[in-house]
Amino acid sequence: MPARTPSQTIGPFFHLGLRWPGAHRVAFTEKGEPIVLTGRITDGAGDAVSDALFETWQRCATGDAPACATGGANPNGFGRVETAPDGTFRIETTMPGGRAPSIDVAIFARGLLKPLRTRVYLSEEAARADPAIATLASSPRLATLVAQRAGNGEYRWDVRLQGEGETAFFAF
Amino acid sequence: MNDMTKPLALDPPYDYAGYLSTRKRFPSQPLVELPAGALDMPGPLVPAGFVRSGDNDLTTRGKSAPLGEKMILVGRLIDADGRPVRKSLVEIWQANASGRYHHPGDNHEAPLDPNFEGIGRTLTDDEGTFRFITVKPGSYPWRNHSFAWRPQHIHFSLLGNSPVQRLITQMYFPGDPLLDIDPIYNSVPDPEARKRMVCSLDLRTGIEEIALGYRFDIVLAGAKSTPMGL
Repeated sequence: MPARTPSQTIGPFFHLGLRWPGAHRVAFTEKGEPIVLTGRITDGAGDAVSDALFETWQRCATGDAPACATGGANPNGFGRVETAPDGTFRIETTMPGGRAPSIDVAIFARGLLKPLRTRVYLSEEAARADPAIATLASSPRLATLVAQRAGNGEYRWDVRLQGEGETAFFAF
Repeated sequence: MNDMTKPLALDPPYDYAGYLSTRKRFPSQPLVELPAGALDMPGPLVPAGFVRSGDNDLTTRGKSAPLGEKMILVGRLIDADGRPVRKSLVEIWQANASGRYHHPGDNHEAPLDPNFEGIGRTLTDDEGTFRFITVKPGSYPWRNHSFAWRPQHIHFSLLGNSPVQRLITQMYFPGDPLLDIDPIYNSVPDPEARKRMVCSLDLRTGIEEIALGYRFDIVLAGAKSTPMGL
């Protein structure tokens, strides 16, 4: 069997190479309830991570894998944004369906030799309904994966890479 | 089969002292172990029109050819089970021949080349093959340590066909003396795994009297689930 190619850091100069116009607005063929996921990424010193690439992947409103986009559009169901100078990100998407509505997240940045992977849940009930993270059920870390409802379809989810309140990241 | 729930030792650790930028960014809490296959699901499908003809040629974006050593880069994208990863997006970015990125954050005093942006993308074919036309990037200094210079490299982003296959890596060049002292390259613990990030000279991939040829095969994680039809 061939052995896998190792990961390396995305470095500080990825922006022009990986920028997709409109990729902050996640498209689907299936209709659904519009939501917005916003937040801020901070490091172990509490400083903004201003040079990260934040990617999302999720089910469509029916709970299935999104149908393929057509023409020259961005891939359906997939979001990609750069963090702003203040470390914030904003993704406009659709409420995912399924038993445990959630959005898979990968974070790439200078200083990360491999991505950080995790999953953000749109409610605490959703987090408790996902057997994948059953080991976190009675842990205070579960709360780091739950986005807070901020009204008007907006969900707030801050990411802490290291230290107090550190987000739970997945081994993979 | 690969056990997707265990960290793969062939990747670098998050906490790697030789690369200073890791210090405040590595997770200090234990990573959450997921049940086998939890992230093994079909990934994003990239519509064929997303990539346009010529997107894989980095040498035709300006009024004339960019400076530097022209090269043809061909490789195959396969998974750890040996299967081709088909219709999958490959994105690259790189410094110009002088070692300068076309990026507002790069203040290295080497000159920009008005004919070179250093950005390309393509979709793999049914055999997993991809091809780029570019110039060999230059080395450049960075501030990690005294006299720190990055070896020549091209950044690669692979979407794969499942989230478990998503990979960002760097491709290096054979015989580069800077490899031995580069903390990013050497963050990969296994020397054999490091060599898999180095392309090989393959003259016949080039164009006689025009461009050097290099070959770089990339192996992604194995995935049970890929989108329908792939």
